[in-house]
Amino acid sequence: MCGINGIFAYHPASSSPQEGELLRTRDAMVARGPDGQGIFWNQKRRIGMGHRRLAIQDLSDRANQPMHCPHQRFSIVFNGEIYNCSELRRELIAQGYGFRTTSDTEVLLQLYASDGSAMVARLRGMFAFAIWDNQQETLFLARDPYGIKPMYISDDGWTFRFASQVKALLAGGNIGNEPEPAGIVGFHIWGSIPEPFTLYRDIRALPAGHTQLIRNGHVEAPKPYVSIADILASGAQRTSNLDGFQHDLRQAALDSVKAHLIGDVEVGVFLSSGIDSGALLGLMRDAGQQRVRALTLSFAEFVGTQEDETPLASQVAAHYGAEHIVRKVTQSEFQADLPNIMLAMDQPSIDGINSWFISKAAKEVGLKVVLSGTGGDELLAGYSSFIEVPNWVKLMRGPSLIPGAAAASRFLARLSGIGVASPKSLGFVEFSGTYEGSYLLRRGLFLPRELQGFLPPDVLSLGLKRLGLLKRISSSLQPDPGSAIGRVCAMESANYLRNQLLRDADWASMAHSLELRTPLVDSVLLNQMAPYMPKIRALGGKATLAGSPSRPLPEEVLVRRKTGFVVPLSKWSHMEAKNFAANAANKGQASRQWALKVIAAQAKDAEGKAQIIKQSPIQV
Amino acid sequence: MTDAYGGYGGIAQYNRDILTALAQGQIVTQIDVMVRLAPDAAETLPEKINQAPPIKGRVAYAFAALIKALQTRPQLVFSGHIYHGPLAKLISKLTGAKLVSQLHGTEIWDQVKPVHLEPLDQSDRVLCVSRHTKSCLDRQSQLAQPNTLVIPNTVDAAFTVGDTQQAKAKFGIEGEKVILTVARLDTRQGYKGHDRIIRELSHLNSTISEGVIYLVAGQGPDLPRLASLARELGVADKVRFMGKVPIDGLPDLYRAADLFALPSTGEGFGIVFLEAMACGTHAIGLNIGGAPDALADGELGICVEESEFPAALAKALQAPPVDPIALSNAVRARFGREAFTERVLGLLSTLNS
Repeated sequence: MCGINGIFAYHPASSSPQEGELLRTRDAMVARGPDGQGIFWNQKRRIGMGHRRLAIQDLSDRANQPMHCPHQRFSIVFNGEIYNCSELRRELIAQGYGFRTTSDTEVLLQLYASDGSAMVARLRGMFAFAIWDNQQETLFLARDPYGIKPMYISDDGWTFRFASQVKALLAGGNIGNEPEPAGIVGFHIWGSIPEPFTLYRDIRALPAGHTQLIRNGHVEAPKPYVSIADILASGAQRTSNLDGFQHDLRQAALDSVKAHLIGDVEVGVFLSSGIDSGALLGLMRDAGQQRVRALTLSFAEFVGTQEDETPLASQVAAHYGAEHIVRKVTQSEFQADLPNIMLAMDQPSIDGINSWFISKAAKEVGLKVVLSGTGGDELLAGYSSFIEVPNWVKLMRGPSLIPGAAAASRFLARLSGIGVASPKSLGFVEFSGTYEGSYLLRRGLFLPRELQGFLPPDVLSLGLKRLGLLKRISSSLQPDPGSAIGRVCAMESANYLRNQLLRDADWASMAHSLELRTPLVDSVLLNQMAPYMPKIRALGGKATLAGSPSRPLPEEVLVRRKTGFVVPLSKWSHMEAKNFAANAANKGQASRQWALKVIAAQAKDAEGKAQIIKQSPIQV
Repeated sequence: MTDAYGGYGGIAQYNRDILTALAQGQIVTQIDVMVRLAPDAAETLPEKINQAPPIKGRVAYAFAALIKALQTRPQLVFSGHIYHGPLAKLISKLTGAKLVSQLHGTEIWDQVKPVHLEPLDQSDRVLCVSRHTKSCLDRQSQLAQPNTLVIPNTVDAAFTVGDTQQAKAKFGIEGEKVILTVARLDTRQGYKGHDRIIRELSHLNSTISEGVIYLVAGQGPDLPRLASLARELGVADKVRFMGKVPIDGLPDLYRAADLFALPSTGEGFGIVFLEAMACGTHAIGLNIGGAPDALADGELGICVEESEFPAALAKALQAPPVDPIALSNAVRARFGREAFTERVLGLLSTLNS
């Protein structure tokens, strides 16, 4: 787990990159990799790459990066983990490739030498990497299918830059900080910025499941090599015998957990009172891990309420004989950490506070790697969206086509007062007739119409055009995943999971030099579950996961009302304190308020603050 | 396009360069060029290129272009100016040809109308003359990521290092330090920046012992105003207005100068910077628009903020001379014909793939 960056003066007219910039960007990511650092320049000094290392596999200096192949043809900077690296290494050795380290980085290097860009299809893991081919003078970038590891790019027409973090690219000092309207509008709609946009016009994400080549002085457009929808669509073709679900899920989940335990350091686990993390803990035991330390957050505000995770988490920890570490977080710690949270937050997000504190707790006890249950709800249809979205579409497909129905329903909702308590209800008829529309209703914080009079008209109009809101969601449904549940799974995985949960997990854990691994966000596992996806709820869904460890989870975990991994944000956040009594029942409203506060703080933190604040409705 | 062969100025030069490079593509069999203007007698055209006689009227031009396209069924339509975008888009739609649009710079600095923006967003590729031009399109485009390619101006082979003393003698210069500007004399206030130099002449002549004279090459409606400004400031004898200098006279003019200065606020690129530096003459410009590209952010020429210009100008005139051969070579390495043609042919192969 690391921070990577690079500057490539690919255009013959461009000046050679400056080392100062390369180091400024690299060292803005010191928290991502405190254990080592390195840089590389090609002989002509047209490309420089930087790396900050968090040592997990092969702790020796031999495994430092940038790493080069023996003939110096290929050089790599890599952030992530390749879970099938021993298998790939064996194959490569059989083909005659030699290895000097036991790190997965060298496997990537040799696999690229062997297979070229097609190598990405062979990888199981989370990754973002760049490989320089000194012979062909090409730069190759790749990012994992789910987008667990970040990669941001910037191309001014002469020089191409990349880094693991947006703020690190800005710290280099040569990238403009003009705001991106699609980033601002996207954030207000989703609570996180939908890729490939960022808060800045000149910085984009390399989309998940994409590769990119820069060669012959041309930056080629990012190319998809796999998508969640691809995996689901091909799985839907293989649906035949559904009896094997229980067995296959157990095998596949155990296999994924085993794969995610590799490395030369201890692996802990984040434990909530839910099924996903509990099952992971059980499977870690099945995988043979002797000592397991499990971490849970506790909040005084939640004691005695349904939202208190600790009693049940303690029971699960005891059930599997794990050392349970309960970390208390108080309002005063939250207030004290808030400035650092805003600094570490690479892109504005309405979430991630929980990940911040649990990662902090893991670092305090000396853990470098932890497993997290993120992704279980997407994989096993755990969210209510898996029921609501298909129902809405079924119900509203007809009515939403009636001319004037959307406007009439907005009018009625306003008249009846429903629109005030639940602003999104105003858009129900307009959006609920399609999967993408229903998904927007389900996950959106604000609907586009609500942003009128709230964001400046030119920002809103250009931002919405670039976002292509519904088209962008429906692109996560290409090719068709083949079932209602598959469609929701694809939308949740390629939007909420990718842009919100995984991104938050990355910045919050990296800020504490902690590697977070997500065995339930794994393309191999998804591929194995894909044939069952159309019926995955009826087959038992998450309850089956609860029964997957050889010692199943306690019954209490299954019956507990789902709350997610929450913090008492609305109580703590200063601004909300006043309104809290009025809105206590409405988490949605609290999230909206928080969103405004976050973007204001991000704007304040950023270099381009004046411009972003101007474009954002809240003044700080 | 507006003009190409037989045209005068930076845009016509760029268009000629692009066409000449395209004609070198192996897959290119024929290029038909339709222009609005061609004031000079058309020279011999490169192989594969035909240029129809200019048609000034808009309607007649559009009509002729449509007819030509339907007759020749091109595979690629090149729109040389943003105002030709709607017509070029229509032609590419009718013929199924790919569309490449060119942005020269200033035409996209301000907000452009949707009718001109749309053809850009629908182009298979938009060629931008500078990073700044690309950035202007990025700001306005409705696409998540406009499909741009920066292809800067190139510099003609005629612009080389030569005998400076001989060149100075040709223009009757004896011992003085010479500042040169080659640009149209535009009435837009301060646009090309002649004023900024005229205003410094008195001060420069009092501090630099050899004396400083200012050669102004180019014609335009701003001449009377600039001449009267020089008189008002008492430096009329230090400024020589030379009128329009023919292309073949330019290399010696550049060589005769100690410093080429174009403190312009409106350069889409500034090909004259390249010409001057390719002749071995040091250059200075402002960090605005496309000029930083020609000056390579200060690595080839001096590139300063507007407020720093007077001090930087004085300093440049008193600095030890630059190595003309090294400067010329450095300019060619970045902007020479070879690099340019390679980029244009690279464009063809990426469009073809």
